[in-house]
Amino acid sequence: MIRVTLPASRDTIRALRAGDMVLLDGEITVTAGLPTIQRLVECAAGTRELPRRLDGAALFHLGSYSQETADGGLEILYMNPTTSTRFNPLMPGLIRHFGLSMVGGKGGLDTECAAAMAEVGCVYLSFLGGGAELHTAAIREVVSVHWSDLVAHYRLVTLRVEGLGPLTVGIDAQGGNLYAALATQAAARLPGILAGMEAQRREQA
Amino acid sequence: MPITYDAMKRITADLYSWSLRKVPDDTKVALARARDAETNQVAQRTLDIMLKSAIAAETSDRFVCSDSGVPVYAIGLGTRITIDGDIKQAVVDGFSELVETIRPPLLKHVTNPLTNERGYHGRDMPIISWDMIGGADYVDITCQPKALGSGRWAALEIFSFPSLARIEEYVMECVLKAGSQHCPPVVIGVGIGGSFGHCAKLAEYATMRPMLSRNPDPTVAAMEARLLAATNLTGFGPMGTGGDTTALAVHVEYASGHGFTPVAVAFNCWINRRTRARLHDDGRVERLE
Repeated sequence: MIRVTLPASRDTIRALRAGDMVLLDGEITVTAGLPTIQRLVECAAGTRELPRRLDGAALFHLGSYSQETADGGLEILYMNPTTSTRFNPLMPGLIRHFGLSMVGGKGGLDTECAAAMAEVGCVYLSFLGGGAELHTAAIREVVSVHWSDLVAHYRLVTLRVEGLGPLTVGIDAQGGNLYAALATQAAARLPGILAGMEAQRREQA
Repeated sequence: MPITYDAMKRITADLYSWSLRKVPDDTKVALARARDAETNQVAQRTLDIMLKSAIAAETSDRFVCSDSGVPVYAIGLGTRITIDGDIKQAVVDGFSELVETIRPPLLKHVTNPLTNERGYHGRDMPIISWDMIGGADYVDITCQPKALGSGRWAALEIFSFPSLARIEEYVMECVLKAGSQHCPPVVIGVGIGGSFGHCAKLAEYATMRPMLSRNPDPTVAAMEARLLAATNLTGFGPMGTGGDTTALAVHVEYASGHGFTPVAVAFNCWINRRTRARLHDDGRVERLE
């Protein structure tokens, strides 16, 4: 298990390898909303004001339930990942523009995103889907909640976490990519798998 | 004593709430078995964390996943029951009341498909399939909330007089297309035959079957075993980051049809949300899982 404190140096990020498991400490920014990612694209294009700095940030595809507390503060009731591939077309531009150091969620990102990640020195972290209690327990502070006009899980939420994870490095900054490798492996195995099934059917006939 | 509006409203709301907080016992057993059999170290750790997460949510009575999905019910009405009140409206009203009172509160996932606006209410919500159960004096209700990992990767294709080989090949194509994205290890439901709508329903209902159940037809049971082994040879593994466990179970159901043969494939993510209860005509409420 590798413990990473954010913000992390590019050397630290580039040293991570696909398949490593990490625990995170520090600031992360999360959203599960496509409209939110679209707004960030507008911010990158200069047509919308960015509500907080994201240079070198860890930006994760996590949905959270944020609400105001009785004393006017903010709290997160629970947090969990969403499917990252939904954001494939928009992520390469964001990764390059903000020089993101970490992205993540569940299910991975495509090879165009991976290419952008390798350029800037960014890794993709796989969060456990169905891990709401574990992920939420790592939250130490709600730093900010922006774009509260959106439904709760779409808001841009920045949190300070301690020991968030374990998270699996799904795509590293050196070309290592579990998702691409596993998809290629499965496609290569398929003819053999089908032949094996045919042999079993004959045997069972 | 009839099946009442109040009883229906209460139990359908409860089933939804319970389904969000507990991974079914048979699924936890299957995950633990998969953990013992895994040879991939990342997969072993991922399965460990899954079990830890399941227990944490159950112990604290909180949600396993933040995506509570949309409420989906399969309701079987016994032909010997008596009904008092609008039990169809009761399901709608039960969900409406639940979203106001449930703790922690739900995120808004009910989506208008024409505008993508999200809220707690919408047309045809909750989604209910009504069936009749011959001779039964109870109402059998299963709740299976649908979110991305339990709905997004389902697929259906219609073939003409397909061979078993072609049917199984299509299931494997769906497995490869879903790949790492549906929070594996999943339960896979396969429907074969019938009509377009009936086939899709067979596949969804197949995902609701208990984990260790096998189809009583030996031909179909053999297909289930082949497809489970084949799926786990793909190597996607838990959370799609590699391993021997991509599926915990494959359940196949079929119906006779015309010869144009639909094949439907549905998935349920590893938390396998599923609760079930019976409302008996004598007023008893029996929670089955």
